[in-house]
Amino acid sequence: MLADGTAQNPEDRSTQFVPVEGGETTSAGTMLVVAYLLMWAILIGFVLTSWMRQKKLDARLSELERSLGPGPKS
Amino acid sequence: MRNRGFEILLAVTAASFAYLIWFVFLVAPEAQPAAGGVAQKILYFHAPAGYAMYLCGAVCGILSGAYLYSPTDKRDAWARAGAECALAFGAMMLVSGPFWAKKAWGVYWTWDPRLTTTLLSVLIYAALVVLRAFSGGGEAEKRFAAALGVLGTVNLPIIHYSVQKWGGNHPTVIGKGGGGLQHPDMRMALFIGFFTMTLFAIVLLITRARLALANARLERIEEVAIARGALET
Repeated sequence: MLADGTAQNPEDRSTQFVPVEGGETTSAGTMLVVAYLLMWAILIGFVLTSWMRQKKLDARLSELERSLGPGPKS
Repeated sequence: MRNRGFEILLAVTAASFAYLIWFVFLVAPEAQPAAGGVAQKILYFHAPAGYAMYLCGAVCGILSGAYLYSPTDKRDAWARAGAECALAFGAMMLVSGPFWAKKAWGVYWTWDPRLTTTLLSVLIYAALVVLRAFSGGGEAEKRFAAALGVLGTVNLPIIHYSVQKWGGNHPTVIGKGGGGLQHPDMRMALFIGFFTMTLFAIVLLITRARLALANARLERIEEVAIARGALET
């Protein structure tokens, strides 16, 4: 068997599969992409909530303006 | 700050953000497998997000204290903005860290002193934000939220020094000799990350504080309008 775990000749090949604890399940690249996607989703979500609050404020201001009637012309 | 100044700040922040992404993914080298390999690049947003949480938390704590001393709408607005931004940056840090930890430590989460104290602070800011969102704008609620804001900020130095005092798995990112970043491009990527997140935190703080202040002023005007019968409840 070579150092990297590959078979040196056909007789050395694996003939059975043994479960191991803590084996590699996900690549580092996948972890990186998922982590960045989640971070950016939070940032974008936060900016979106600010925009939505701004829209709500605009709506309340418009309602207040309507209730008070037309103001003096500037 | 005048709108022109804010627009310039926005443009610089956007440019810095784009430059950071380019630098992290295309220039900064990959770390050794024991440190998480390519997943180590999470550091360049993860650590600056933590720093931005400290910054926003400090704003929340100082302005909360000032509000408790002498209440004004402006202080309340900045304290609220600080808590909201601290929660956002804290959440960024908490969701990104586990993916790097899985590669470097073999587990997503461990009750390490720094992780635990960070979670505590983020939960305090979350409680504050939920309280402000659902409890109305009464004076008692604002004072209670301000006290929570001070409490959340008191915890921030504990997070920072916990890793030095109590050890644990979490590395000391900023330390003597570059904090373990052996390549100049790695140090540069982290520096750009800190610079970008500082700008981002300032932009978000100003935006949220302006919104909170405008909301408080509008509430007062609406109350006067209702009292004069010009607006229905």
